Amino acid sequence: MKNLVYTALLSSILMCSSCNDVEVPATMAMDISLEHKLDGQTLELNGKSFTLPSGEDFTPKKFKYYISNVVLTNTQTGEMYEEMDSYHLISEDGNKSIDLGMIPSANYNQLTFSIGVDEVANGKTDQTGDLDPNSDMAWNWNTGYKFLVLEGEFTNKNTTERQGLILHIGTNPNFQTITQPLTGVRAGKAISLILAADLDELFKDPNTLQLSDLESTTIMFGEMAAKVAENYSEGFITVK
Amino acid sequence: MKTYQKFLLLTAISLATACAQDVDPTEPISAVNYFVPKLSPTLQVAGFPQPERNMISVEGVDLGKKLFFDPNLSANGKVSCASCHNPELAFTDGVSLAEHGVSGEKLHRTAPAIFNLAWQTEGLFWDGGAHDLESLNFGPLTHPDEMGADLDEIITYLEHDPAYKKQFNVVFPEEQIESAQVSRAISQYVRTLISQDSKYDRWQRKEESLTDLEIKGYQLYQKNCSSCHQEGLFTDRSFHNNGLDKTYLNPLELEGLYQGRFRITSNPQDMGAYKTPTLRNIALTAPYMHDGRFQTLEEVLDHYQNGIQLNESLASQLTNGIAINQQEREALLAFLATLTDSLFIHNHHPKSN
Repeated sequence: MKNLVYTALLSSILMCSSCNDVEVPATMAMDISLEHKLDGQTLELNGKSFTLPSGEDFTPKKFKYYISNVVLTNTQTGEMYEEMDSYHLISEDGNKSIDLGMIPSANYNQLTFSIGVDEVANGKTDQTGDLDPNSDMAWNWNTGYKFLVLEGEFTNKNTTERQGLILHIGTNPNFQTITQPLTGVRAGKAISLILAADLDELFKDPNTLQLSDLESTTIMFGEMAAKVAENYSEGFITVK
Repeated sequence: MKTYQKFLLLTAISLATACAQDVDPTEPISAVNYFVPKLSPTLQVAGFPQPERNMISVEGVDLGKKLFFDPNLSANGKVSCASCHNPELAFTDGVSLAEHGVSGEKLHRTAPAIFNLAWQTEGLFWDGGAHDLESLNFGPLTHPDEMGADLDEIITYLEHDPAYKKQFNVVFPEEQIESAQVSRAISQYVRTLISQDSKYDRWQRKEESLTDLEIKGYQLYQKNCSSCHQEGLFTDRSFHNNGLDKTYLNPLELEGLYQGRFRITSNPQDMGAYKTPTLRNIALTAPYMHDGRFQTLEEVLDHYQNGIQLNESLASQLTNGIAINQQEREALLAFLATLTDSLFIHNHHPKSN
């Protein structure tokens, strides 16, 4: 019995090494990491003050969001890899990477992903993994997930008082899909992609947010939330 | 190469056969017993809807029942689901706005009766904000003024309780207990809370008769109430503004809480609209309305007769109120009392079965 196993092991090793010499391996390792920046600087929570595009100062305290439905494509050959069960909770003080593991080898030249959780997954909250409601990203009174959470404090320029900012953006219309070109991905070669999340883009392009002038700085639903979602639909997360 | 593969395959087969021989072939593959509750035709429902991902089983319902009555799920170990949904009061708590959550702070809405919810498929909570029971349960479990639980602490508690751990492993395939399973088990139990054996039901099934007064009340109900409180479930499962208020406060920190279903849909027609509650067991579920503002059914009838507040989203059936005289009122109340289901209350008493 033991002999058989050893022989099998040996032959499989031989097989693999022979493949490597002649052709591209069937799979390749890929991971994606995220970098968070605000005002050109690395994001920090609970201390450092940053300047927003509006010129107002802002001290972030919490920053979390969902990246979902990751798809890699070679637009020339049509080869495509879609991650199954693709829901990733990214947070400044927690996980900032997506490990796709071994994926089918191809010269992928396009990355597609969404900010938020798609309509099907957003229709219930008894879910596991990154969608487990223990992460404080599920709404309890209105079934669904917060797609993006940014909380912190700013100085109101009208009153000069410190004031809280709460951005909890969710609901199906604010689910945004982003497509980015990729360069340098070669079939069979392990690669680490870096995505840069520029928090300035939440506050501008096309809708500039002047926090001190807002009726409410708790932005969860309605028109203001839609404006922030429009802002994060383009330019917020880009491939570095 | 091929020979080695054959050898390996052979070994694998013989191993698998060896394993299979240890299993008693007469034992069922699944450890749980799925079932569909028996339904009375008087509910006037087509079947028993349940989500595919959470079909009810005897074992799942038992586990859900245990969780429902377990105060250890709450932050202070004193509040269970049953604290606000007491079986003796048809799963309500008898107060307008409860102050018996973990914080002692007063809630903003009254605890609704929770039975016949399998058919409440248009949304749960007074404003329909929860899509299904499985999603709803996290609300009361984690709300700081209700059970105030930390979901991770609930998991730790359940993982360390050998009896719970065993039950979870029987009901759900996953090795580790997860928050989703806690909610699913509770949902299974709640879906089995079916009230269908009141005097009204027995009368409809020709097992018992109603008095003349009760029959007169039934006719008045049909004429005046049944468009929203549709016979069978005694609710149309929909949402209406029944004229409680002319305007609605909207303090920013409460995120539209006083605006009814408008808060969920942003549809102006839903301003001040709330779920039509069932009339079944209505004599047990005082106080009435989403905020428990009426203490008695008399007050409710006064509202429909004289108190309707007109505004743009008012349910059209209520524009002129509901005018009934004193004798009719007595008849209507007599009929409503026939909707009390003593068997349901008895069967779900925590000390029963």
